Amino acid sequence: MLQKIIKPVSFFLVFSFLLLDVSVHTAKARMIDTNTVIAAQQKEAVQARVTAFLGREDARKVMEQHGVDAVEAQKRVASLSDAELAKISQAMEQLPAGGDGLGTVVGAAVLIFLVLLITDILGFTHVFSFVKPQR
Amino acid sequence: MIAGLLFLALPLVLSGCTTLSTRSLPRPPSVPSKAQVAGVPFFAQDELQCGPASLAMALQWSGVVVQPSELTPEVFTPGLKGSLQSGLIGSARRHGRVGYPITGSEALLAEIAAGHPVIVLVNLAFSWYPKWHYGVVTGFDQERDEIILHSGLIANEHLDSRVFLNIWERGEYWGLLVLPPERLPATAKEEPWLEAVAGLERTGQWQGAAAGYDAALKRWPKSFTAWMGLGNSRYGLDNLTGSADAFRKATQLQPKNGIPFNNLAQVLSKQGKRKEALAAAQRAVDLGGPLTETFRKTLKEIKTKSAR
Repeated sequence: MLQKIIKPVSFFLVFSFLLLDVSVHTAKARMIDTNTVIAAQQKEAVQARVTAFLGREDARKVMEQHGVDAVEAQKRVASLSDAELAKISQAMEQLPAGGDGLGTVVGAAVLIFLVLLITDILGFTHVFSFVKPQR
Repeated sequence: MIAGLLFLALPLVLSGCTTLSTRSLPRPPSVPSKAQVAGVPFFAQDELQCGPASLAMALQWSGVVVQPSELTPEVFTPGLKGSLQSGLIGSARRHGRVGYPITGSEALLAEIAAGHPVIVLVNLAFSWYPKWHYGVVTGFDQERDEIILHSGLIANEHLDSRVFLNIWERGEYWGLLVLPPERLPATAKEEPWLEAVAGLERTGQWQGAAAGYDAALKRWPKSFTAWMGLGNSRYGLDNLTGSADAFRKATQLQPKNGIPFNNLAQVLSKQGKRKEALAAAQRAVDLGGPLTETFRKTLKEIKTKSAR
């Protein structure tokens, strides 16, 4: 069964990748932009640009899934280089997103609250701004 | 009971992470024992909005008049309840400023001493219970071992450097400069600076990009990438003569690289100098390389344009 589908599927995949490659080339303007100049200086393979092209679309989708407005997501993607976007499309969930800082740990268990209080006093953490760490 | 639990929990908490730091700030000889950046305004953050608040402080310092609330749609990601580092960098670009990431305390002190505020990413709690947070470091004092920063609701918070290094270590010592493009970082290195400036091209900030490349060329006059970037941004500004000059300079620096010939051909063609344009385009094709297809297309287009 598997033997039977492998061949047509792999043909299909190879074919679609070829199409993709072409589309990347045609999409590029004939003026070579500085990001590409830098990539070429760093001897990145052209293949890497194909992956990056995919990353651009992925990154936009991922942003929308995380509640960023569609038009805004487009603008954000446009403002970033391929290398910067690759990180987002691959692992947005794992990236640090700075947000807290008001010293509130709403919903945290009492235990965590007390642990954080002690580690704050020890100077290991800095969650509560009212805590003065011991010298 | 709770005290007992705590007693049990504390070693667990600490063992997963690095040991308690007793470090002080590094003391590089080139840096004074204390420094304070003037003219960094403070914006108290709204809930979860430390990203927009920190960026607004840095942008305002750099001369862009902007409120944190205007930056929220550009940097804040609702699903993550926070702002990504790349969000800050991209937004800085959209306001014509260069976002230049730095790493480590020596770079931090050097930039502060040079009068540049630094946005830092810290983790206020633990790696397994992260409280990611952005603040803006505006000063330091080696004598008192303190870092001074605008953070959360507190302007000019004096933080024990031991505490700061603990929470910054968990943010992998990541810092961000937000600079006017003509101003090089104190710790500037050629390639990262040019990458940061190239980001301005992406958002169509040609004027800023040109200024950034100009600044680079004052420091590194033989930088091929900077001449290429200058050519591209002058082209974006419709300064064709200047653009051609820059690309010519790039061809001199790397005579075996087809890219500057390709771009020079484009400019010459737009100037109506078909003969020179064809020669440059042909040169690019002859030199070849991974972008040969683009070079061929340039040549073909100039040929058909000339035929008309």
